[in-house]
Amino acid sequence: MSASRDKRASLAEAIAGNVHDGDTVFIGGFGHLVPFAAAHEVLRQRIGGLAIARSGTDILFDQMIAAGAVARVIFGYLGNPGIGLAHAFRRAARDGTVEIEEWTNFSMMLRFHAARMGVPFMPSRILQIGDQPSGARGLKTLTCPYTGDELSAIPALVPDVALVHAQQADAAGNVQLWGVDGDTVEGALASRRIVVTVERIVTTTEIARSPERTRIPADRVSAVAEVPWGAHPSYAAGFYSRDDDHYRAYDQVSRDAGELAAWLERWVHGAGCRDAYLELVGAERRAALEAGLQGRTRE
Amino acid sequence: MSDRVRALSEEARIALLAARELGDGETCFVGIGIPSDAACIARHTHAPGLTLIFESGVIGADPPTPPLSTGSPSVVEGAPMIADGLSVFGALQAGRIDVGLLSAAQVDRAGNLNSTVIGPYDAPRLRMVGSGGAHDIACLAPRLVVVMPHDPRRFVERVDFVTSPGGGGAYAADRARLKLGHGPVALITSRARFAMGREGWELDAPLAGFSREEALAGIPWPAGTGGGDAIAIEDDAIAALARYPHLAAA
Repeated sequence: MSASRDKRASLAEAIAGNVHDGDTVFIGGFGHLVPFAAAHEVLRQRIGGLAIARSGTDILFDQMIAAGAVARVIFGYLGNPGIGLAHAFRRAARDGTVEIEEWTNFSMMLRFHAARMGVPFMPSRILQIGDQPSGARGLKTLTCPYTGDELSAIPALVPDVALVHAQQADAAGNVQLWGVDGDTVEGALASRRIVVTVERIVTTTEIARSPERTRIPADRVSAVAEVPWGAHPSYAAGFYSRDDDHYRAYDQVSRDAGELAAWLERWVHGAGCRDAYLELVGAERRAALEAGLQGRTRE
Repeated sequence: MSDRVRALSEEARIALLAARELGDGETCFVGIGIPSDAACIARHTHAPGLTLIFESGVIGADPPTPPLSTGSPSVVEGAPMIADGLSVFGALQAGRIDVGLLSAAQVDRAGNLNSTVIGPYDAPRLRMVGSGGAHDIACLAPRLVVVMPHDPRRFVERVDFVTSPGGGGAYAADRARLKLGHGPVALITSRARFAMGREGWELDAPLAGFSREEALAGIPWPAGTGGGDAIAIEDDAIAALARYPHLAAA
């Protein structure tokens, strides 16, 4: 990837060019900056047979499962944070329609870290007692050559492509991301390709004003699309707050498969143009979420 | 006093009891819900120097409103540092964090916790959210405090799936050999405190306002009769609840 080529693309182009049937896809966002707009575009393009991976997931995973795009989930936590179960996942697990590979949040972070560092595994003390190791497929242990400690060898996971939402980037794809990261940067840098959506595209001069905020360098980025509100209903620090009510409403609607299908038709398939999505959210709610930054200045 | 405690919501009682497990100056790895409520109350009563650490990487948090996600805006609000997930789990593994707080769907006598499946793993009656950071915290925390509503369905002889391994005699040798944390030391319910003995959870003392029978109702393992006096909650702790309207009296 070039560090200077203009990588700006429409969201549709960015996804079509980089996400393919059967890919293993890292989904960014740890409560913050969850790439809803990018993943919804994957669903609209009917890209399927995906393995989707991250540590602590969001309702976005549940939506991708419900839309039938997912063959396998690789995760540490799969639910509706702070509210409860992921209902489409619950049904898919019951019906055996999705392959489950489950780790823990720390081990998923170590898997991405190993991939980022170019080593086959990271050693750790976790995943040696209890039933959890059996969900983590192919996990092996080793004896430390220095201390003799018994350790688990947490295998690297190299996703084909990462979907990441961030606050801003320049046209070349120098990505500035601040606030909670969790393991978003780790997972992105572990991946072969990185597709980024941002709240706004800025000049390289603007980026160079605070280079410490650049977390993903342009040479690693395949495409960058400007998608304001691209993390809704999660949030973007400095832009808008988390739409907790949306998560509560999703809990209700997703309890029933039929209602959830109708919800996806409306919020995903029927909202192809960003303006249509923002209209669904509503101007009043958007204003409230912008004001919901609790005294923080809008950047 | 005891009537006043009894009138509190179940969540408030658990949070008040669990807060007593956290010392001033300690660092505490917390999850969302009652664990976070308990740590906040401790910080605003006897432990102003308590450091709350969330798996999202936020260190020194003091959420003004209850967050839904460990990455929520209220976790970040006023926090002095946002690190990343690897940093905080790494600190936990390195023994730099004093205590962890966890809840789950089921707990058994040995302190095993289940947040993965009800029923067999391959044909679950109910598929739940999985470990998240729970397994990691249960393995690595030097001291683990478990919080559960007093709901007999949650207290079982043996959990359906050991998401987060327990402690006591059953695990002592494994934990020492693998250089893991000590594991669960206290089980806080909405009626009592249990302590981890060699054989498993034993009633330490009921919460003021509750009898030993009430504390033990529905616990399927022999948990002793509890030697300690009923646990009184200080007035300043009850007053601290005013900061958290979601814990208001039931």
